[in-house]
Amino acid sequence: MTAQPAHEATARGWVQCRLGNFNLETEWEVAPGEVLVLFGPSGAGKSSTLRAIAGLLHPVAGHVEVGGRVVYDSQDQVWVPTHERKLGYLTQQYNLFPHLTVAGNIAFGLEDRNSSAAKKRVTNLSDLFQLDGLADRYPWELSGGQQQRVALARALAPEPAMLLLDEPFASLDAELRRTLRREIRAMLVQSPVPVMLVTHDREEALALGDSVQVIDEGRTLVTGDPLEVLGQPGQGRVARLVGVENLFDLIVHERNPRDGTMTCIGPGLQLEVPLDAHITGNSTPEGQQDRVTVAIRASDIILAKEDLSGSSARNRLPGHVISIESRPPGYAVTLDCGQPMRCHITGAALEEMGIQTGQQLWAVFKASSCFLVDEGQGPRSDLPVDQQPL
Amino acid sequence: MIRAANHPAGILGTGGALLFVLFIGLPVVALLVRAAQQSDFLGAITSDSALTALRLSLITSVISMAVVVVLGTPFAYLLARSESLWARVVDSLVELPLILPPVVAGVAMLMAFGRNGLIGPPLESVGITIPFTTMAVVFAQIFVASPFFIRSAKLGFQAVPKDYEDIAQTLGVSPWRTFFRVTLPLASPAMLTGLGLAWARALSEFGATMMFAGNLTGETQTMPLAIMSAMETSLDGALALSVMLLAGSIVVLVLLGLLTRRRWQSR
Repeated sequence: MTAQPAHEATARGWVQCRLGNFNLETEWEVAPGEVLVLFGPSGAGKSSTLRAIAGLLHPVAGHVEVGGRVVYDSQDQVWVPTHERKLGYLTQQYNLFPHLTVAGNIAFGLEDRNSSAAKKRVTNLSDLFQLDGLADRYPWELSGGQQQRVALARALAPEPAMLLLDEPFASLDAELRRTLRREIRAMLVQSPVPVMLVTHDREEALALGDSVQVIDEGRTLVTGDPLEVLGQPGQGRVARLVGVENLFDLIVHERNPRDGTMTCIGPGLQLEVPLDAHITGNSTPEGQQDRVTVAIRASDIILAKEDLSGSSARNRLPGHVISIESRPPGYAVTLDCGQPMRCHITGAALEEMGIQTGQQLWAVFKASSCFLVDEGQGPRSDLPVDQQPL
Repeated sequence: MIRAANHPAGILGTGGALLFVLFIGLPVVALLVRAAQQSDFLGAITSDSALTALRLSLITSVISMAVVVVLGTPFAYLLARSESLWARVVDSLVELPLILPPVVAGVAMLMAFGRNGLIGPPLESVGITIPFTTMAVVFAQIFVASPFFIRSAKLGFQAVPKDYEDIAQTLGVSPWRTFFRVTLPLASPAMLTGLGLAWARALSEFGATMMFAGNLTGETQTMPLAIMSAMETSLDGALALSVMLLAGSIVVLVLLGLLTRRRWQSR
């Protein structure tokens, strides 16, 4: 034990790696007890970033700090091997050692596995992750959730200075995922280490992330608050990556500065959306036509059987139901409102309303539920990632 | 379960299995029956010549297996983890002794280490003589038996995911210790299988030994050579030695079956 616990240091760094057909360039900074979510499609370079931090992948250039210590620096020729980096690394494949029991797995990284301190540590972690009574079981005797808990306990046992989680819950069911997220949160309160979490699950990013970094093709598109980045992303590319369901290319028909809204039209569609004044370089003199991309989240749309003419919602679009798909925990209903519009509703709502294909419904949403996305050329390379416009 | 009646492989398969069991079983049974009919079976087994051959076989095969395991294990690991062209070339070279007739192996070793061989004379000048010594027996056994171990161990190592080793290192365990704590235990069933096969091959080694080590009682005459020599004088002695070798093979088979049963594999 050092005087100042290593896990109370901020983890930061940057790496450049050559990966197949593209170059990965990421930088990060995570405070102790905080979770930075790396969000993006598969093959974007999220996992490689974690592997580079862990020293399992050799970057071309970079600088990596873990626990207040430089573990890699291309300029100063620093390379600390993986086993001396003091990291916890967890992947979707639990990779529990099949020849060891639960207790043997958890204790694997401990210095003196037979000491009473080690045994106590194993017991404590077993308690924390509800693994009591399983100490002598072998991995194949455990459920998926238990296996992942053991893997988590094993990663935490040697008191890592940083935790790298690579889609750790991807192969678990939704209920278990929620439970494990709560447990990770609880664990972070107890031992506040910096955490980097790779996921392409929005819910997970929102539930666990203190900040989120969207990565695509080896580049960071945006870094920021999860609600902002994943809820109303400003860039079209990011919006598509984070799965904004409805994106419409429209023309500004009329601006109403008094209401802070404007009317946009497109083939078969007319929407009231917030004024585009905040998008720099986009504001044009009143009356002039210009193109905008309007986004609406499927979960922000209300479905109604009748026209809610007496409501405050500025957008009420009639349309026939084209398709109904199961999308756990609810359903995705697509209406033909001139252009296809996807709405998420619960199973109960679907049943109560008796929604069927071909039926006429109204899609209702506020002007403020719409947001404009920038279809520009992605991140501006002259700004550090954390100062790029959202 | 495949039901014999309505499966195309059924009748032929069952018939083939029966014939095969008979084909293998009959000679084995015959050997045991004839040995049992012997008046002095115990005497033949405990005769001086039999015990000498047995002791030599055991000592030489244990030494060659030790060499094969100590040198073959890291070698097999390297082959399993390396993807270079070099490794693939070496990989196929390793299997050469499997297809080479043992007699040819014996001749080849004579050409290398023999009195007129490539490196025989320089070795002799520093006082090392290999051909027709007990060391030659060990050499011959290593030559013919090592591929069985190396091949099996290589497959065993390949079956251990690299991820396990990566994870072990993130847990603060050095690559060296990871090998002993993760890789080796996980590959050990395959290694034991390979060791059993190699051992059986070493015990039964005949051709290369005959060529390279000769047939000197107490020095190079192992069990198979002793059996051949015994056949020329007394069938009884040959039968006794054969039964001992058969028993040895069965013991190896049973031990293997017990040792390679892994708890963690019963999914």
